Amino acid sequence: MLFRRDHHRKRAYVLGLDGVPVGLLRRLAAEGAMPRVAEILGTGNLKQMRASLPPVSSVSWSSFMTGANPGEHGIFGFTDVDPQSYRLRFPAFGELAVPTFWDRLGEAGRRCCIINQPATYPARPVAGILISGFVAPDLTRSVYPADLLRPLERISYRVDVDTVKARDELDRLLDDLDALLETRLRAMDYLWKQEAWDYFEVVLTGTDRLHHFLWNAVERQDDPRHARAMRYYRAVDAVIGEAWDQFHHGRSADSEGDGFLILSDHGFTTLRQEVRLNAWLREHGYLSYRSAEPTSVADIAPGSQAFALDPGRIYINLQGRFGSGCVKPEELAELRTEIASQLSQLAFRGEPVVAHIFTNAEAYRGPRSPSGPDLVVLGTNGFDLKGTTRANEVFASTHFQGMHTWDDALVWCALPIAENPEISDLAHVILDHLGV
Amino acid sequence: MARGFTLWFTGLSGAGKSTLASQLCDVLLERGMKVEVLDGDVVRQNLSKGLGFSKEDRDTNIRRIGFVCHLLTRNDVVAVAAAISPYRSIRDENRKLIGRFVEVYCKCDLDTLKQRDPKGLYEKALRGELPNFTGVSDPYEAPANPEVTVDTAAEEEAASLGKILQKLEEMGYVPAADERGYTDGEEDAIKERLRELGYI
Repeated sequence: MLFRRDHHRKRAYVLGLDGVPVGLLRRLAAEGAMPRVAEILGTGNLKQMRASLPPVSSVSWSSFMTGANPGEHGIFGFTDVDPQSYRLRFPAFGELAVPTFWDRLGEAGRRCCIINQPATYPARPVAGILISGFVAPDLTRSVYPADLLRPLERISYRVDVDTVKARDELDRLLDDLDALLETRLRAMDYLWKQEAWDYFEVVLTGTDRLHHFLWNAVERQDDPRHARAMRYYRAVDAVIGEAWDQFHHGRSADSEGDGFLILSDHGFTTLRQEVRLNAWLREHGYLSYRSAEPTSVADIAPGSQAFALDPGRIYINLQGRFGSGCVKPEELAELRTEIASQLSQLAFRGEPVVAHIFTNAEAYRGPRSPSGPDLVVLGTNGFDLKGTTRANEVFASTHFQGMHTWDDALVWCALPIAENPEISDLAHVILDHLGV
Repeated sequence: MARGFTLWFTGLSGAGKSTLASQLCDVLLERGMKVEVLDGDVVRQNLSKGLGFSKEDRDTNIRRIGFVCHLLTRNDVVAVAAAISPYRSIRDENRKLIGRFVEVYCKCDLDTLKQRDPKGLYEKALRGELPNFTGVSDPYEAPANPEVTVDTAAEEEAASLGKILQKLEEMGYVPAADERGYTDGEEDAIKERLRELGYI
């Protein structure tokens, strides 16, 4: 390399566990399923952490990598709508409105090595290595620099499991998760040996896939696949142990030990019912469609007052904001309160469905806030608030077994962290540790 | 719409001009642009063969590179010049001639350059064995208002590269990062995957 190196400065290592709630990690460590994690947890503080609003990977990881609120970084979900056509669109990494903390590290002459970071497709130049994670559809554009592609192909590197087959072939999904974890480990080993770095990160996303499709197997000892799910977690434990050993190899724990972080981007819990917000809005007269079988919010009929996107995001169809917006700005506050009030009373067989409703102003701060939803709705545990337009019924069972949660993500480290942390705090913790 | 422009790297020998020019060239080619690199060392082997290092010869060399950049730029090619180009007035002359001109100052302190010194040139120049060596025995006039300054003693290559690309995007000379989203095929694949995970 052309530029300067200093081998004496501090480094940081982040091990990301997509969709792992704090209680699960604590339990698996205590029960002996994750012995290496148990050792590590004893040397620092494991804390419950708030994810982003909504608690979904694209938003939470964007908050992690920028240290910013969605109102600042501008990513509010895997999907968004074109304000004129209402066509669904998929925000790409290039739409992130603020720099990542790796950009700041690069400016300070520090080098990063980042593997499988969700919400970074297509990969763009960083000071070091970036391999994009979900929703990266093509490995070729997931890799920076481009000459890393060939070595990754040689180790059969993949971004994700085959989720098409996962639904019907759960045993095959488990095998696929093992294989995916193995390629992630190979990439870690390869880059560990090849690259100089100040910041290393690897995100394991298989945990999230396992939880979506097989949460019961993780949670319930009487589930027929419980032993198999625990075997997967033992493999995850081994990867974490390997990362810990790599980080400390040849270095004293005093100088390096406090730079290791384990974190998740949101929690998980048992899914009991999907709650289709657009069906609810339609039932209550706030939404209608031009088509008898709407396939997306692009089929919204003129005169509709509100629509929802996944997960739990409600948008008021405001004049001046949306192409067919019919709600006058002076009506916005009243309508928002009315919808929130009615929705908060929604119940399933007598059980409350909605845990909390945030207004845009409560959830977001920053110049991009006006692009966010007017309401962010969190379900009580078990009720997953969806944005589909394809369903007439508000409640439905589904093949998914798990759902995301907001306030029980995890962070473990030995660095000082705020008492009630949120995921956007961590970029600042890492930059402080690295002296940038 | 005009697509050509000239990206002019200036700075002392060993400051990273050729390295960054070559990497920029790869990125711009990937983004579908036509690119030509005019490296000072290479130009002196052909277009400016026979010229020495007097002020007059240096000025002639830089004017020649500037003229070729001008021709390329007006034909929608991105001309990337990497030459010490020590004199501000000649660089400014080229800026005026070309119009769509982006000056990148590769800043690097002499101590770092002496440490790098892959060809031992600084060592020779400091011993007095190389006359007219810019930065040691010949002047270098740093740009007063370059579009981009990269500090190659402190920054990683990729950070410098990112800074230059960001400026080019801001100036509208290369497609902005936020326009580089998904292809139609990728969007279909993403939609399918999000549907499989219940996000749509």
